Amino acid sequence: MSGILIWAWLFTLPGLLMSALGVGKRPGAASQGGPPVMFVLALVALATGAHGDFRVEGWLPFLPDGAFHLRVDALSALMLAVVGAVSTCVYIYSLGYIPDQVGHSAGYSDEESEVAQRRFFCYLDFFVASMALLVLAGNLAVLLVGWTCVGISSFLLITFLNKKAGTLSAGLQALAANAIGDATLLVALVLVPMGCGDLTTLGTAPCIAGVGGAPLLALLIFIAAAAKSAQGPLYFWLPSAMAGPTPVSALIHAATMVAAGVYLMARTHGLLAAAPSVGQATAVIGILTALGGGILSLQQTNFKRSLAYSTVSQLGYMFAGIGFGAPFAAMFHLVTHASFKALLFLTAGVVIHALHGREKLSDMGGLRKELPGAYAAFLIGSLALIGLPLTSGSFSKDLILEAAQGHDFMPPLLWLGLFAGVFLTGMYSGRLFFGVFHGPRRFLGELHKPSGELLWPLVPLAIGALVLGYLEWPVPVLSRLLGETVGEAEAVHFPSVMGLAAGALGLAGFGLMAWRTEPAIQPAAVAARADDHGEAEHFEEPLEPNVGWSDWAAERSYGLAGALAGIQTGQLSRYILVSVLGVAAILLLTLAGSSVSVSQTFMGPR
Amino acid sequence: MNPEVLVLATSVVLLAIGVAGALIRRNPIAVLMSIELMLNGANLLLVLGARVRGNVDGQSAALIVLVLAAAEAVIGLGIALALFRDRDRVDIDEPAEVRG
Repeated sequence: MSGILIWAWLFTLPGLLMSALGVGKRPGAASQGGPPVMFVLALVALATGAHGDFRVEGWLPFLPDGAFHLRVDALSALMLAVVGAVSTCVYIYSLGYIPDQVGHSAGYSDEESEVAQRRFFCYLDFFVASMALLVLAGNLAVLLVGWTCVGISSFLLITFLNKKAGTLSAGLQALAANAIGDATLLVALVLVPMGCGDLTTLGTAPCIAGVGGAPLLALLIFIAAAAKSAQGPLYFWLPSAMAGPTPVSALIHAATMVAAGVYLMARTHGLLAAAPSVGQATAVIGILTALGGGILSLQQTNFKRSLAYSTVSQLGYMFAGIGFGAPFAAMFHLVTHASFKALLFLTAGVVIHALHGREKLSDMGGLRKELPGAYAAFLIGSLALIGLPLTSGSFSKDLILEAAQGHDFMPPLLWLGLFAGVFLTGMYSGRLFFGVFHGPRRFLGELHKPSGELLWPLVPLAIGALVLGYLEWPVPVLSRLLGETVGEAEAVHFPSVMGLAAGALGLAGFGLMAWRTEPAIQPAAVAARADDHGEAEHFEEPLEPNVGWSDWAAERSYGLAGALAGIQTGQLSRYILVSVLGVAAILLLTLAGSSVSVSQTFMGPR
Repeated sequence: MNPEVLVLATSVVLLAIGVAGALIRRNPIAVLMSIELMLNGANLLLVLGARVRGNVDGQSAALIVLVLAAAEAVIGLGIALALFRDRDRVDIDEPAEVRG
């Protein structure tokens, strides 16, 4: 079984080729086969405990460990199962969602529209292949290839709707943040001593003997992971990435790719154990990101962007879990979060689709009766997200909170931040849920009813959001399957004081938003909104640029480059003069430094 | 006077004239000629070194320089001709407008 699964990164290749060549009547239908196969095979491998290696030596001989090394074990099988499951749902969803995005009203001709749809599924196939390569990588060299490829496919998919304003700059932001991560990973790859590079043994004595030792290596890998998972100051690209189509936001920017950082940290947890200072930094940054993401989510006016900050916040929980030395808790939260966050995003897509592409929260409200399926799905997703006891999110978040409680290296106030974050989670979930589905109707035009392709993928995700927690309780199945790959796992205690308190806190935040007073809406504004739907139909509104420190840094470096360009006058004689002076200076310095006389230099010994 | 010093001095003078010409002259043809002068000064030095040391390393290096100089002259003259066709007054600094 592991023999087949090791080639999982090629499963979507036939679909990619067929979509690219235009096989099949319906665009995208040819690509549907890859993800389910990956999901089923990964589940079987996970259940049977299959593991295996594939190694070709000397693939990149100039690197310390340049072998082409793939590995299937329980951890990679689990990740492949998550990627396979979420992408299966997203592929089906995209069949119904993408045609409207590239329709006539968005400025596409019939032919352009079909080409664009095929292109979309090619990109999706490329992403799934890259992600599979990333999680199957056995050493740093292969990991870097997958790591870079998911960044590229992320860019391609964010900028997919290239007729929409703002997608290119959003894609470039994502590319820039990913480049930071790629660069630090490359430095780590060069720094490890000869013969090292295997991801699971990075923390062993011979591998941390290089320059800088374990702390530097762990720091480089942490920065790479933080860039991919939008942690700390590198959060800025994820909210901007919402310019991509909603299925992409669900698959890449909520469930799988952004979780790759968490996966990498869990995979290399041995290294983190050898560098406790980096582990503590991970925990602090995770907590701060969890709080900051929650606060920023409350301030958003855009539906998807608010969900994106929620993703940033939840990834912060996972990083905190890893920092507190509980990689299993982080991986468990990754799995449950993948199901309920993908569910929330796909539901958001249904709502945006129904409102003819409107993404602003100020256009939403009172959609409970018209969109009962989306209403139920969003409620389930929100409750799992805030950790209502007995839903999946409660078990995984409780595990992280207990790991945080058991630590011994920081003042208690800081980890209580994680606890406060649960309240914020409840507040922003409630704000979205009640703001979108309850209250007065703000959009008075006719709704675009979702097709079955948009609704059916929500069902398995909703079931996952409800029951995935029972993988660990009452019987710890998942931690036993993962075994040594993520270190020792704490058992889930239920009911626990911590879990119940967190659940109550989250629900309090959620309920608080139900009584929030709605801002009064001018009747004229409502009427105007009802009229304008012809223009914005099927076309997601452009996102205003995401202003942050990255923009400031970009402007400064642009100015510096402009100042430096001034020395290039284009005057040939000046260039020659500078060259001559340079040569003269080099000659003088050489001659002054040598004890040999000029004639000896030229004539040599007789 | 030692003949080798004489050749050395000639080589230095050739190089100096070439540098001065390349810096001062505005006509592209004159600049190209000055560059040729510099190359020849260097060539002379190479041949002199080969002669003093009694091997052929310097001579073969000088041959390579000759070939490169020929190639460079072809390209340089081509650019100069294109400039002459394009403009009335030709100044080596004038095409600064094409800088990025």
